[in-house]
Amino acid sequence: MSTVASSRQAGALYWPVQLRRNVGVRGLFAVVMAFLVAYGFLFPGLLTASGFAKFTQSWFPLALVAMAQAILMLTGGISLAIGAMVSLGAVIAATTMTGPLGVAGGAAAVALTGIGIGGATGFIVVKLRLPAIVVTLAGSFIIGGAALLILPRPGGAIPEWLSDLLAGNTPAAFVLLVLIVLLWKLYLATPLGLSLYAAGENPVGAYRSGVPVDGARVAAYAISGLLCTGAGLFVAAQTGSGDPVIGTAFTLNSIAAAVLGGIGFLGGQGTMRGALAGSLLLSLMISVMFFLGFTPVAQYVAQGLIIIGAVAIPQFRKVQQ
Amino acid sequence: MTKSSFFASASALCLGVLLSFGAGSQANAAAKCIKGDREAPYTIGWANIYSVPTWMKQTQGTIEAEIETLKKQGLVDKLVVTDAQGDANVQIQQIQSMIDSDVDAIILIAGSSTAPARVLADACAKGIAIINFDSLVDTDQVTAKVNTDSAQWGDQAAKFLIDAIGGKGKILILNGPAGVSVSDDRRKGADAALKAHPEVTVLAETNTPYNVAPAQEAVTSLLFANSEIDGILSLGGALSAGAVLALDKQGREQVPVTGENARQFLELWKEKGLKSWATMQPNWLGAFATYTAVQALEGKDVPAFVKIPLPVIDNSNIDQYLARAADFPADGYIYSPFDEALFKKLLAEQ
Repeated sequence: MSTVASSRQAGALYWPVQLRRNVGVRGLFAVVMAFLVAYGFLFPGLLTASGFAKFTQSWFPLALVAMAQAILMLTGGISLAIGAMVSLGAVIAATTMTGPLGVAGGAAAVALTGIGIGGATGFIVVKLRLPAIVVTLAGSFIIGGAALLILPRPGGAIPEWLSDLLAGNTPAAFVLLVLIVLLWKLYLATPLGLSLYAAGENPVGAYRSGVPVDGARVAAYAISGLLCTGAGLFVAAQTGSGDPVIGTAFTLNSIAAAVLGGIGFLGGQGTMRGALAGSLLLSLMISVMFFLGFTPVAQYVAQGLIIIGAVAIPQFRKVQQ
Repeated sequence: MTKSSFFASASALCLGVLLSFGAGSQANAAAKCIKGDREAPYTIGWANIYSVPTWMKQTQGTIEAEIETLKKQGLVDKLVVTDAQGDANVQIQQIQSMIDSDVDAIILIAGSSTAPARVLADACAKGIAIINFDSLVDTDQVTAKVNTDSAQWGDQAAKFLIDAIGGKGKILILNGPAGVSVSDDRRKGADAALKAHPEVTVLAETNTPYNVAPAQEAVTSLLFANSEIDGILSLGGALSAGAVLALDKQGREQVPVTGENARQFLELWKEKGLKSWATMQPNWLGAFATYTAVQALEGKDVPAFVKIPLPVIDNSNIDQYLARAADFPADGYIYSPFDEALFKKLLAEQ
């Protein structure tokens, strides 16, 4: 009886708590909404199935790497190897899927590589107490080199049907993203997931309270690796081939998206929805500025202004309060 | 008399038949991707991979000049420019935006030789003319590809240098960055000529970015190690400028050197009185791609691949190039002149 009542109470608390977590990123949400409306207005085709599909496809890999970076930053870590991991995922997919391993085997190889390298990185960072920025920088050279060894020049292939399924005219990418977000919600309800924020915000306090701090951080690195190689697989499907340096720009973009989304560098601060909104804004900006007819030089300036604006708006409020 | 007039009329008849046959086939065979449902004036999309380097700025300049010409002819009304800032994924998204906004033609320098293939296939299916130049994509779903031949570049440079040093001697080879296809292809192109002349000894090879400073540094250290050098096979213009400066700073005598149309190198060539040879990746490939796109949209058949012959600069015509130097940026490239007549000839020659 009393448990039912307390769970009801918790249920009643759920939405107010979620709303409060949005406080820091309300400004960003408003900017993203404005851009979405502007995009729909400038390009009415966005509202058709294929227009929506193509748009979400260009956002999808960035959304995944933003999540990959956000998980690490929530635990107080960071990765400079995101781009290299995307490239590695792409070349593994492009070299295995049309071979004897097939699509299932190739996907498994991509997933295992991501979890394995991510987990190994996490182990080195967490257990050996080395700075994440140094380990992942060195890792980016090793992983990037491995991608070049597997596929020295752009090439390889992805089965046509898989490309059409993931990056055709259906919103499969969007459905996948929704599923991944739901899985993230589920993960946050597990003991490891619950430890994630605690491990980032106050590792010592969390450790003394019996939270598996090290386990939570290593798991975060493994999940992050999986998201990156998964993004690589998607890029390979989207382009129909592998390119050993295709992921390079994702490293900086993933950090930009996470920071835009209100994720703090010190750990424990921010929400995944913020990081996703940040990545959506980065992706939307490119298309909206195209339809507004900005010249490339104006785009450089506008990009910077929008990013500063989205980060600064909530700060103005705080200062006023 | 009658015989020759008969011959003339017969050949005229033959020519007429050939011409009408040619015209007939032209009317039927539109270029790839073209559906014939688009009408002038056209909107042209220029999907640049990276707009910052001087070569790119000059290339865009030739595109804008060509657009102005085509505007006057009533064939084009708008140029849409995107800059992917070096990111192949962004370039794909921008090409998608061009498809969404229904441009009539896309001209592009690809940021990846494979990645844009699928989005280009989508564009092709929508009847958009696609002309790919300079950095090419491995796909046939484009209207035409336009480029010079990097292997031929290496071959011609090697032949000039071997000839200039009298078929024997010690040389240095200056390459662009390792693992870059243009750099690799130019070097491979030089192989055959070098093998055919065993008396030409390659003392050392360098791999540097296509910039003056690193090339100068690399050549300087090679000069210390090698007291006798007869020639320098440089496969990039900035590299040649670096080599000439290195020789100059060391007080060494200048030797025959190959190069490219970088303004700095051409000016050093004249100043030091070198015996040299240079070619170029003409910036007007951009203007030519624009012209070709409009030709295809106008229903003309265009070849799937247009190989641009390498313009050659040597001691006989270097003054003509330097006379126009003031029109080009100090760190830019003095490209050969171009006009519509040249473009027509290039399309007809294929």
